[in-house]
This record gives sequence, C-alpha cells and structure tokens, in this order.
Amino acid sequence: MLTRITGGRVIDPTAERDEIGDVWLRDGRISAPPPAGTQPDETCDAAGKIVMAGAIDIHSHIAGANVNTARLLLPEWHRASAARPADTPLSNAGWPTFETGCRYATMGFTMVVEPAVAPHYALHAHLELADIPIIDKATLSILGNDDFLLRLLRDKESADAVRDYVAWTIDTTRAIGIKVVNAGGAAAFKANGRQFSLDDAVPDYGVSSRAIVKALQHAVHDLRLPHPLHVHCNNLGLAGNAETALATIAAAEDLPLHLAHLQFYGYGSEGERGFSSAAARVAEAVNRAKNVTVDVGQVMFGPTVTISSDVLRQFNARSQAHPNKWTIFDGDANGWGIVPYEYRANNFYNAVQWAVGLELFLLIDDPTRVFFTTDHPNGAPFTTYPQIFALLMSRDLRAEWIARLPRPAIELTTLPSIRREYSLGEIAAMTRAAPARLFGLKDRGHLGPGAVADIVVYSDDADRAKMFGGAALVFKDGKLVVRDGKVTREQWGRALTVRPGYDHNIDRRLRDYYAERYGLAHDFMRVPEAAISRPEPFEHVPCAR
Amino acid sequence: MDHAWIDGQPVQLEAACAEAARLLERSRLPVIAGLGTDVAGARAAIALAQRTGAVVDHMHSEALLHVLDVVRDAGIMTTTPTEARLRADMLLLVGPLPADALPQLLSAKLRERIVIWLCPGGTVFGGKVQAIGRSPDLLPTLLAAARATIAGRPAGPAPVGVKTIRSLGDQLKAARFGVAVWSAAALDPLTIEMLCGLIKDLNVQTRFSGLPLPPGDNALGVLQVCGWMTALPPRTGFARGFAEHDPWRFDARRLVERGEADCVVWISTYDPAPPPWTRDVPTIALTSGGASLPRRPRVLIAVGCPGVDHDAIEYVAAAGTLAWEAAAARRTIIRVSDALDRIAAALPTSVASPC
Ligand SMILES: [Zn+2]
Repeated sequence: MLTRITGGRVIDPTAERDEIGDVWLRDGRISAPPPAGTQPDETCDAAGKIVMAGAIDIHSHIAGANVNTARLLLPEWHRASAARPADTPLSNAGWPTFETGCRYATMGFTMVVEPAVAPHYALHAHLELADIPIIDKATLSILGNDDFLLRLLRDKESADAVRDYVAWTIDTTRAIGIKVVNAGGAAAFKANGRQFSLDDAVPDYGVSSRAIVKALQHAVHDLRLPHPLHVHCNNLGLAGNAETALATIAAAEDLPLHLAHLQFYGYGSEGERGFSSAAARVAEAVNRAKNVTVDVGQVMFGPTVTISSDVLRQFNARSQAHPNKWTIFDGDANGWGIVPYEYRANNFYNAVQWAVGLELFLLIDDPTRVFFTTDHPNGAPFTTYPQIFALLMSRDLRAEWIARLPRPAIELTTLPSIRREYSLGEIAAMTRAAPARLFGLKDRGHLGPGAVADIVVYSDDADRAKMFGGAALVFKDGKLVVRDGKVTREQWGRALTVRPGYDHNIDRRLRDYYAERYGLAHDFMRVPEAAISRPEPFEHVPCAR
Repeated sequence: MDHAWIDGQPVQLEAACAEAARLLERSRLPVIAGLGTDVAGARAAIALAQRTGAVVDHMHSEALLHVLDVVRDAGIMTTTPTEARLRADMLLLVGPLPADALPQLLSAKLRERIVIWLCPGGTVFGGKVQAIGRSPDLLPTLLAAARATIAGRPAGPAPVGVKTIRSLGDQLKAARFGVAVWSAAALDPLTIEMLCGLIKDLNVQTRFSGLPLPPGDNALGVLQVCGWMTALPPRTGFARGFAEHDPWRFDARRLVERGEADCVVWISTYDPAPPPWTRDVPTIALTSGGASLPRRPRVLIAVGCPGVDHDAIEYVAAAGTLAWEAAAARRTIIRVSDALDRIAAALPTSVASPC
C-alpha cells in the first residue's frame, strides 16, 4: 500500500528540510518519492498543514510499580476524571495505561521512554507498557543504590565487573539504558542519612556519590550503549542546588552524560527568601559542555503528584504533600516515594520554578541538547505539553503569563528579558530528531526513506497550544491512528531494547548472590517474550554509537 | 477427561463458553468474583467486565482494602521482605501472623536483632521474642499509648503497665532500622492506621518501616493489574460505562446476598474454598483441582492452576513483585485467560471491547 501525504509544510531537521512538499509511505516505512506518474493507493491532503515525524518523549513516568502506587494513593484523581468535564487538569492526567497511549498519540507522540524502572520490577513495568496502546516504549533501569554495585565499588573490583553487571541488568530487564537516581542517596537514607551530596560517602560502603556516577558513566560508555548515563543528581529541589548541577556537569569530564529534569537543579539562594533562579549560570555551563545533554522537567501550575525513586528527597518533601498523604517505599535498592503536590501560580517558589524551566529551554542554544519534558507527572502532567510549546514559541504569551505571577519571584529570574522564540524547526529538532539520536534510533525522528512511518500532520493554527493539542492526522507504523485529535484505530507498539554482551561469569556470580541474599533465582526479574501477550513486543536497537 | 459442564452434564468447551456468554449477555448486573488467578487471567477478567458492565471483586479484597484504606487516607511507609530480613535490627511483630512467616523473617543471622511481638493472640513462637499484651483487641490502645509516649505526649489508658509502654517506646526509638510486620487480613484499618502513624513518627529521628504480609490467591497481583487498567483497586464496577470504585457497593458478597447480582463468574484457581455466600445465583465457575462449590454451577470450566499446570505471572511474596513462574508440572488444560477470552468472543459484537 502506497500512501502520499501531499502539499504540507514538511519539517524534517535531520534532512535539513523545511518546504512545501510530499511524504510517501509504503508498508509501514517512509519511502523515497516513486517515479513520476506513480499513482498512490491513498492520498492525504496536507495543504496548509505541518508535517513532522512522530514526537519522542525521553523522560515520562508512565508505567511501573511506582506509578501504580501513585494511582492507588490517589483515587480522587480518578473520581475527578470520571465526573468532571474533560478539560480540567486532573481529567487530563492520562492515568490508566489505555488512556496514556491514546492521549500521547492524539498529541502526535509516537514513542515514550519510561525512565525509572527498578530492576526487580522490570516485568511489572513491561506488562504495563504492553497495555499502553499505539505508541512505542523503552525503559531505563535504575542502578546506583543497589547493594551489588556498591559492593563491587567498595571492594575495588575491576571496571569489567561493573560493565558486565550493567550489561546483564540491561539485558535481563529489557531496558534501553541506565539511570542513576541520587547515586548512593537512597542507600544513605537507609542508614538514616538526611542529606547527601556528590562527595558524600555511602555509610557502610565508603563509596562516594561521585564514584558511583563515574563508574556507571564509564560502564555505559564502554558498552557503547547509544544512550549516555541518565543522571538524576543529588539535592533535587533545594535552594542553591545549581552548584550540584554545575559540579555534576564538571564531573562528566568530556564523556557523554544526560542530566534529567534540570529545572529542579536550577536554583540559587538569593533574595529575601533565599531561593532564586540560577538558570542562566546552569544554561551557560550546558552550552559549554558539548558532551552533556539535559531535559527540562518544566513546571506548570495545577495539581499533580511527584513520583520519584529519590526516596531521600521524597521523604524530605513529605510536609509539602497536598493532599496531605504520601508513601515512602524502602526498596531492595532505590525504592520510591510518592508525594502529591500542587504547583500554584501565586506561590513564590512555584513561580520561580516555572520561570527556571523556561529560562533553560530558552538560554540553552542548541535545541538538540535540551529535551522537552515535564518529568511527567513531577513538574506537570504530559497533557500540558501543548501549552508549553506555545510558551516557547511566543514571548508575548510568556509576558501575559509573567504578568499574572508574583513580581518578587519573577525579579529573581532572567525570563522577562529573554526574547527568543522557538521556531517550528527547532521544536521538531528538540522533540523528533534529537531524541532519536539520543537513543540511537536511526529509523525514527525523521522523514527520510526507510524511517518508520510515524508521521504527524498538524493544522497550522496560530494558537500553537491548539495545534499541538490534537493532531489532524497521526500515522503509527504507517497506519492512520488519529484523525482530528481523536484516536481512530487501536494498535500496539513495541518496547525498544539494547542487548549489550557480557561475560557470563557475572551470571554465575549473580546466581549465587541472589540465592544467598534473597533465596530466589537471580533471573526472577527477567522479562520473557512469552510474558507479554502481544505479537512482537520487543524491537532491538543496535549498540555502538 | 472432561473439562466443561453445563448443569452438571459434560459438554464441549465451545458450548460451555457460549452458554456463559449467553448468561452474561442476559444479566442485568454480572459480578466477576473470586479472581484467584494470574496476571493474564486478571487482565482478561477486567476486559470482560468492561465489556459486560460487570463488577470485579477479589476474594481477599477485604484484607487488601484494610491496608489500601490507610494508604489513600494518610499514606504509608513500607519495605521489602529482604530488607526486613537482612537489615532490620528491630522487628516489631503486630497481632496474629501466619505460622510460616516468622522462620523466613528470622532466617538471616544478624549480630543483633530485637524481636518484640505485640498481642500475638494464639500464635506462639519459641525463639527469643518479647511478647507484650496478648489479645489483638488490645492493639489499638496499646499502639496509641506507644505512639503518645514516643511523641512525648501523655499516654492515655494502656492495657499494659506504664513502665512496659515506656520501655517499648525506648526500644523502638533506639532501633536503627526497625520494621513492623503485620498480616493484612488480621488487623482492622484503624489499627493499621495507628501503626503506620507510629512508623511515620519514628522516622523523625530514626529509620523505621512497615511490612504488611499480603493475602494469598495472587491478591496483590490482581490489585496491580486492576491499578494499571482502571487506576482503581478491585471492587470496581463498569455498569455506567466507566470504572467506579466503591468498597461497599461493589462487594461481591453483598451484591449476591442482597440479590442485586444476577450472574456470577467465580474464578478460583489456587484455593478450593467456596464462594462466601449462601444465596443461589446463576454461576459460571472457572476453578481448578478440587475446588468445592456449595451448589452446582450453571457452567463449570476446569482450568489450570497458574505456575503449576501452565506458565504464569504472579505476585511472588519473596520477590515482593510480579514474576514469571514456569509450570511446575505442565499439562494441557485451559487457562483462565483463554477461557474468558473465548467467552468474550462468544458475546455479541455490539458490546465493543476497549482493549
Ligand atoms: Zn523523572
């Protein structure tokens, strides 16, 4: 079947293409234009519309035992979604798996990375992901607070041992990469530590947070995984923590490193309340460090819930829970904490946070090194994305918002002085081309021949929030799945994985370790293909950058 | 060997599924209950409920909701069995516990570990355990007094001496990583809430966590599936076209006893225990092994036991999560998920499936 999407403005930064033209697709892939005169089986008129590849969200907590805990903690979210009109913030949360896939698809997203899978819960996470329709998925497995790694580092074992362990974990849990969350901080919290920084040592192991990050960064690099180590730094959310971000960027030492939700580390300690924006300094450091990529974790105002494997931080944030209930799970390694929270436009701190996110977006020069996230749902539900695109694309709209926020907060930021407006090409680079590159996905994020036919057609509406809120057409794997902002076809995506090789000696060691420590077979966390009751649930992404 | 029956007469599986579909289609309020099944069975059951406007309830919802009520009212601090076993220098056992729980928990040889058991009820354990109180009825006041003492507030009347309470408080505060262990089925929500409040209070100065021991029949596995498919726990109904949760309204036993439910799908693949009601209601039973039913069901389908007869994903308590279990003694027998899918396939297409 040959389809032609014709007459739209085709924006494909990978090919440096921005022109009125056609996109051809055949059997689920983009194809080169056929010889002149060839008649397509189907033609979609995109005149006056924008054509882009499907968007990729690189960091959104959409599935797994931690997310499910949040669902069960907050039945009122569900009551709200059932009983209220469809356009209230809570009803837009995309809460159960089915809605999650549908809502992402209607916005033109065709792949989402779930960034926080505790290895022991990998099967659970993949089962949930398999129940999210339409979009493709991938997971990051969390290491860095687990006893096995901390022992390897304490006992000064070889880099090979760490590398094999990382590879074994990725392979067994079917992940696409590794994330470290407050390296050592959860282990320190188990020993009653209440704060933990880059050069603090984990009690009982004597290993510093920096040493954990470096060991994992090198292992990921040596394995030639496409995605660099994904780092959730220490001291999330604290005044003055820009120093932590700067120190972590410096610690990257020219090797690739991804810093997650940088907005939560963009804080200085100036002003009457000792809380200010340090986004300009952090952005400058990112601009200089070409080896570093970041995603933003933009805050938007409204009720949400924070879901984090940084148990130490979540415990310290418990007094801010709104509604007043929270859970902390001391896991075998990281565990997690769930703290509901409401960002308010009239709250000084929340207004600074909102501005810090936008400053980072706008002050980091290269749109392929700053990624578009709200750290869903931590900064805001993913359903707020259309509004954020609009804010990035219009300084007038930002000015309207700024006028409604507390002046003392805005004065401690540089946001009002920033004139930059994102172009559609930059939006496409940030949400399509760059994410595909960040995860080594050669056949996604662009519209060149051979790419997976994940294609979005947006109406070129001056109201950008409206435009990005409901795509005119979405093709997933060449099939039309969304028309006029509504899902028209149900189908199931795949989970993308990498499979680095490892020395099987690590398998024997882990078998003994799990038998002794847990009384369990060490592969209880494995995700057999047969466990996922969908055809072809996985897709393999090659290693080697 | 026969695998399907209608009114006690052996029939082909297709005929049994068609009859089950007919019963569901004609039903005003069907209830899918028991739910003692694996992850695949739970997914199929919830999908079928969405299609037929049925209620889903697990046989151990009561115990699940004891803990969940506390979670959604106040939140909770919990940990894993392995963390409790290997790292806890203080185990606070609360109320009656299943006999097999303790040897497991105490199997690791730690240099120092204090074990205190509040109100063990009838359970006796030979090891080095300090027991305080006896009858579980005393727990609410005992825990309230302990909590007050720890917070430095005057304790109300306690069922044991002031000195005992004070020394209990001192021991709890001296723990470096304490874990309170209780059986979800044995304690009522108010007692659990008091205990969880005590745990939170202790964390102001030291580290303490909780380990509720889950009920069986894959209750936690079914809870997880229900959570991701509907964002709600079992005792959820779909009659109005969307998922609604109400622990009282959608209690299967109440619905049957009150005559509100007019058709039941009873699923029990682990436990031979019969449904907990006395009233006669048209029943489609999916059971394995020697499940005993008080009355002959209209439709009976013999299904496999997950992890024994066929591969399955279930909640594995030692792992604290869902895990893949290869069949221990594989044999050819239909699974709950396959049986439910066949029943769904026999429904008229006018009832559309969302997944
Ligand atoms: Zn995150």
